[in-house]
Amino acid sequence: MKRKTIALLGNPNVGKTSLFNRLTKLNQKVGNYPGVTVDKRIGTLKANAKEYRIIDLPGTYTLFPNSLDEEVVFNILSNQANDDFPDLTVVVTEPSSINRGVVLYQQIRELGLPAIFVINMVDEIEQKGLHIDYTALENYLQTKVFKTNARSGDGIDQLIQNFDIELKPYFGAVDLPQKYRNALEDAKQLFPLATEYLTWQYLAQDNISSLPLEKRSALQTIRESHRLDTQELQKDESISRHDTIASDLMSIVAKKENKRLSTTGKIDNLLIHPVLGYIIFFGLLFIIFQAIYSWAGPLMDSIDTLFAFLADSTAAALPEGPLSALVVNGVIAGIGGIVIFLPQIAILFLFISIMEETGYMSRVVFLMDRWLKPFGLNGKSVIPLMSGAACAIPAVMSARNIENPKERLLTILVTPFMTCSARLPIYIVIIGLVIPDDTFWGFNLQGITLFGMYILGILGALLSALVLNKIIKSIRKSFLIFELPTYKAPDWKNVLNTVWEKSSGFLIGAGKIILAISIILWVLGNFGPNDRFSNPQPYIAEANPEFSQDEIDNEITAYKTEYSYLGYLGRGIEPMIRPLGYDWKVGIGLLASFAAREVFVGTMAVVYSLGEEVDIEDEGQRQTLFERMKGEVNRNTGKPTYNFATGISLLLFYAFAMQCMATIGVVKRETGSWKWTLIQTGFMTGLAYLVALVAYQLLK
Amino acid sequence: MQNNITLDKLKKGERAIIHSFRSNELPAKFYELGFTPGTTIQLKHIAPLQGPICVNIIQQDSLIAIRKKEANLILITKI
Repeated sequence: MKRKTIALLGNPNVGKTSLFNRLTKLNQKVGNYPGVTVDKRIGTLKANAKEYRIIDLPGTYTLFPNSLDEEVVFNILSNQANDDFPDLTVVVTEPSSINRGVVLYQQIRELGLPAIFVINMVDEIEQKGLHIDYTALENYLQTKVFKTNARSGDGIDQLIQNFDIELKPYFGAVDLPQKYRNALEDAKQLFPLATEYLTWQYLAQDNISSLPLEKRSALQTIRESHRLDTQELQKDESISRHDTIASDLMSIVAKKENKRLSTTGKIDNLLIHPVLGYIIFFGLLFIIFQAIYSWAGPLMDSIDTLFAFLADSTAAALPEGPLSALVVNGVIAGIGGIVIFLPQIAILFLFISIMEETGYMSRVVFLMDRWLKPFGLNGKSVIPLMSGAACAIPAVMSARNIENPKERLLTILVTPFMTCSARLPIYIVIIGLVIPDDTFWGFNLQGITLFGMYILGILGALLSALVLNKIIKSIRKSFLIFELPTYKAPDWKNVLNTVWEKSSGFLIGAGKIILAISIILWVLGNFGPNDRFSNPQPYIAEANPEFSQDEIDNEITAYKTEYSYLGYLGRGIEPMIRPLGYDWKVGIGLLASFAAREVFVGTMAVVYSLGEEVDIEDEGQRQTLFERMKGEVNRNTGKPTYNFATGISLLLFYAFAMQCMATIGVVKRETGSWKWTLIQTGFMTGLAYLVALVAYQLLK
Repeated sequence: MQNNITLDKLKKGERAIIHSFRSNELPAKFYELGFTPGTTIQLKHIAPLQGPICVNIIQQDSLIAIRKKEANLILITKI
């Protein structure tokens, strides 16, 4: 028997996710809707002696889509052939926004779908000074109304028991203005099987991706012949529905003073105060980043130890040879390279999801919009940009709720400039090499430089947004409208669930690519085309007749690296990177970094023949790598490879270059366009090259 | 009427009733979130330097933030 599909539909901030978690008992998975990467949250529920499929649809105020998320909602609910088309829709609301819930509910029923009505957060009815006449509401909506509190679990069982409810047909329709009658009759010819309201929805939306092209152009012809503007159709429906519902509900929902809102008002006087608001926000940011680095440190150390242990024991268990080296240095080191970032990402998302759950994030959008607008961005770009400081992959995905396509694209394009955690180890190594460990006015110079790199990331993002803003044409006008929800204590289940989802998503998404690349790199670095690789001793002895046997043995790894495929590649690009002050060894690091930046340190360790396992947190090992790198001489210039000029040039290159396969993959998925993905990669890397070139030529 | 001004001119704490719209360019989302003619609103917060404004839509007890540019398209009657 086919499982019943139940869809949860509702405005943002009504506790729909908490309800979903309750119903499915976290028995859920997140996937993607075909074609778009809107998170598709599906769970299962065993009850009433059967199994239900529960879908948590993205939050929306209406069926008319304003963003990608909302388009998904319309596409599912308007198409009976869709795999996710629900057998029953549960419209979720909260006490103070019942009117808006009824808008959605009526739209659904008029489309012809059975639906029940849930008032969640019932504990707030009293606080919000409401009195609801439930019998009258049920009669008005022609369905069952349920009261739930998803946080405590109240009312959930009763809701579940009614999932097989048989509803009577729904009567009633919104009053569509007479002037659209003729156009609607014409449109009905196109869709003989659809309900009148669905046909109206088709008529009132510009680009319905779920319809075949000929239907779309036929609709366009009707709109043109009747001189219809979709915006106006949507506006007229909204206003008509809003007015009717407001007068109908007047006698059903009675309101007194809202205590909740006055508390929220008092908090807001502080948190979005024109001056204090910013001080508090930046203070909070400071604390968050402090926490990321101090809390993540010990966790990262233990992950590192764990992987070192895994590598050692695997090396001991496997017979020595290429396979063991692949597993130890390719696979285990590759996975370790990803897992090490998990603590930082988890901590950042812990804070971000707390900020979202409490309602503070909307306040940040409110505070920051004015400062991001001049760059062609939107207040809502704050979330991707902040997340970008941990990892660009989830950050790019979080740009989805930006309605305007141009602002969303811009945000995606510039987010990878933010200093992600993968850049940090490289910065630490290079800063350690070229910036003196002195103090300047009581501040550590190396610390100032590191801070400067973060600022540079932000500047890079904003300034390139400014440039790209001039180039990209806008399809729709930019606007901003969002609700500031009342402050609430976070639902910790939701918080932990989000952290888990984002972290595991990163691990799997980025992991696959990084793993593949590290294996490819390992192969390139461990095989060579000729005798110089496979039998290096005679060549070393020939080139350095004064070497003792020991010295020759020491030189073997480095020599083999030079004549491996990777070495040939490094020397192949040397002419291109020479103007930046790098030699072929740095070139290998750069090439490897295009897979993922974090590979750089490991690659450098191989090139300078220290073995793979360099722990940058370990003082002794770091000193060895530093000494080795400091002693390096660039054979083109005769100067040390890592002098002040090349160091700065390298830092700048890493700050700007797009060196992360996983991000490129996510950007492709999110923008759905190779064009923008390639423009972004080219733009960032070109900028990096240019800035590094100028810096080196000026400083050398 | 003398009291007819655009929403961006409203001062903090003042109440008004939405009267009409100066243009059809306002996205439908504005109506859906409650900016409809006849609605009573109160201005709650203003972000500095021409930043967004935050409006309380009294009837549904919600706080909605919009930019000054769009507020300029909404005509209101002060009360």
